[in-house]
Amino acid sequence: MSLAMATSMLASAAMAEEAETEVESEVETEYNGEFAGEDPQLEKKIKILTIWAEDNDNGILLNKICEDYKNNVNPNFDWEYEMVAADNLQQKIATLAASDDLPDFFAYEAGTPLTVLIEADKVVNISEELERIGITDYVNAGAIELMKGLSGTEDVYDLPLGLNVEGFWYNKELFEQAGCEAPETWEEFEEVLAKLYEADIQPLTTGGSDKWPATRLVNAYAVRTAGNDVMTKAANGEIDYTDEALVAAADKIAEWAEKGYFGEGITTVDANTAGSMLMSGKAAIFYNGSWFTQNLTDETQNLAGEDGIGFFNIPVVDEEISSATSYSMNCGNILCLDKGKYDDATAWFLKYYCENMGDLAMTELGSVKGYTYTVEAEDMDDYTKLVLEEIDKSTEGFAWWEAKMSSEVSKTAQENVQALLNGEMTGEEYMQSIQDAHDMSEF
Amino acid sequence: MKKVLGNKKAVALFVLPALIIYAIFVMLPVLWSFYYSLYSGSPGLKWEFVGLKNYSRLLVDKNFIKALTVNLKYISVVTIGQVSLGLALALMFKFWLRRCKSFVRTLIFFPVVLPTVAVGQLFNKIYEIQPNYGLLNSFLEGIGLEQLVQPWLGQSSTALWCLCIMDIWVAMGFYSVIFYGALLNIPDDIIEAARIDGSGSWNMFRRILLPLLRPMVVTCFVFSFSGTVKMFESALALTKGGPAGSTKSLSMYMYDVSFTYGKVGYGSVIAIVIFLICIVGSFLINRFDTKD
Repeated sequence: MSLAMATSMLASAAMAEEAETEVESEVETEYNGEFAGEDPQLEKKIKILTIWAEDNDNGILLNKICEDYKNNVNPNFDWEYEMVAADNLQQKIATLAASDDLPDFFAYEAGTPLTVLIEADKVVNISEELERIGITDYVNAGAIELMKGLSGTEDVYDLPLGLNVEGFWYNKELFEQAGCEAPETWEEFEEVLAKLYEADIQPLTTGGSDKWPATRLVNAYAVRTAGNDVMTKAANGEIDYTDEALVAAADKIAEWAEKGYFGEGITTVDANTAGSMLMSGKAAIFYNGSWFTQNLTDETQNLAGEDGIGFFNIPVVDEEISSATSYSMNCGNILCLDKGKYDDATAWFLKYYCENMGDLAMTELGSVKGYTYTVEAEDMDDYTKLVLEEIDKSTEGFAWWEAKMSSEVSKTAQENVQALLNGEMTGEEYMQSIQDAHDMSEF
Repeated sequence: MKKVLGNKKAVALFVLPALIIYAIFVMLPVLWSFYYSLYSGSPGLKWEFVGLKNYSRLLVDKNFIKALTVNLKYISVVTIGQVSLGLALALMFKFWLRRCKSFVRTLIFFPVVLPTVAVGQLFNKIYEIQPNYGLLNSFLEGIGLEQLVQPWLGQSSTALWCLCIMDIWVAMGFYSVIFYGALLNIPDDIIEAARIDGSGSWNMFRRILLPLLRPMVVTCFVFSFSGTVKMFESALALTKGGPAGSTKSLSMYMYDVSFTYGKVGYGSVIAIVIFLICIVGSFLINRFDTKD
């Protein structure tokens, strides 16, 4: 292991030196510092590291915006695009950060992983830069607040690559068959699940093998019974992870699994399969984020059709604890800028990026990315409209189950949720394992 | 020759290049790992000297104990399975199979050359339960054993054994070819003489073939042991270490600790433990060889 690390560090050290020389030569052509008027067409080659293929999701957008900037604004601009598997992203960034060779732009994870980079002074203060360049208005204020909340800082150090709401997607036809309507309260929700089950329909599905979709379900009940900030309190040590409300939330999911609401072997089903099961009518409800619209708008995938799938927010237990207009929201994987390589040429590209990403995302993917856009509602598909309506309804947001956990605690929470679904762990044991991991991570 | 080997300078000249390469690629990383193990965090990010604290953490880390247990179970089952089934197949090639010997040998060797990810996907489909039953569950249902239909990879009680079966299936062909080669080297007159003396199949195997095959058995155990102690890619391809860490090996845990949790120092301690397991395991297996 140390051999591999040493080799990669030596290689990256050499690359860092090379990059430093490049940066120095670029500094010579530095612009006078004003960001108004025409782009000065500074020469620059940036490196982008992400988790998306060039022809997929944000990969399409990032490459397209670079291409547009080069073709329409700055012919002296160039870019290199590299993709890494999502599972390896943290490791790759940690190694590159350690050798001072982070790419100019890189996808990363909000929350604790980003906090480490902020504390190590490795990433650009985006709030300051947006202010300096004069493009603050182009980034959605809600997205900025979400990101600040996740990193626990007054300024924001990342750019959004999504503005997502999460909730329950349901198959309308199956609901109709069982005589159900979208529930608003938790009590109604439980009744719907029972009705569907009695009608011989699998009520729920989730990506048990991907783990995170399952922990979202625990989070849903925990937030609705103990408040939107319950997980922040647990991470800060104000309450234990073994708190009664959190144990009850874990028990709730275990209870559903035991009743057979998830069907057989849910821990072997990945999120894509779960989505397909919903769209093909094999399961009635699937918890997922608004990014799921990409699948829903694809006719080849969505057998339920244009109006076949509906959405409801997490049903409410007590309005005073967590209101019906509080949504689980996030900005997807975020985009960071390396502080070491950031210069005026990058700033000009950043300006173009923020000004145009909103519209580009709408026209290319029909999705909201956390930037302002001018595309009219009538040009959107029904599912995108549905998501926008839900975002408009939101008055408060809360984060996902692992958002405030360190990677060590997060891994335990995700791995053991499978044991919870299998009935190999009780809610109490599950939460105790998270508490143990939390204690251990501070060892 | 004697004169050359008596000259210490000449011996040093022959040995030194290999020794330098060995030191650079084997000893240096081990020493480097030991150096890392005295620090916490990642090099360049929160890198602090903590002395032996990482070693004391090892003793109270439940995840480490769990991964070690998984690894030991996996090594025992897969090593014995691969070598014994490899030997059984070789005996079948030599004494039982009359026709299509080459074809059957090729067929059994075939999984060895398949990429691990492809094998993982194949077995994933075999063990599948949702959205449709895989081969195994369909078969059980078909013969009226519905009560045995279960999420083979989705529960801790069966996932590790399913993984063991896959890895035994993949490698047994390799060991069968090695054993078959060794069996061909045993002179036919010895086997013939045993038969004339009235030795039955079991007796012949126990008293004649096995002692003659012993060096090869030990070699195969060393091969298999060193392959299984690394347990990583097949578990990743089939179960991603799940469910609930029931198929997560020490190597996978080391990877998580070092690169996902950013605790390279503690990851190095786990790497040293794996290194020690390799040394102790190889030493124990080799003891069987030097007994006589």
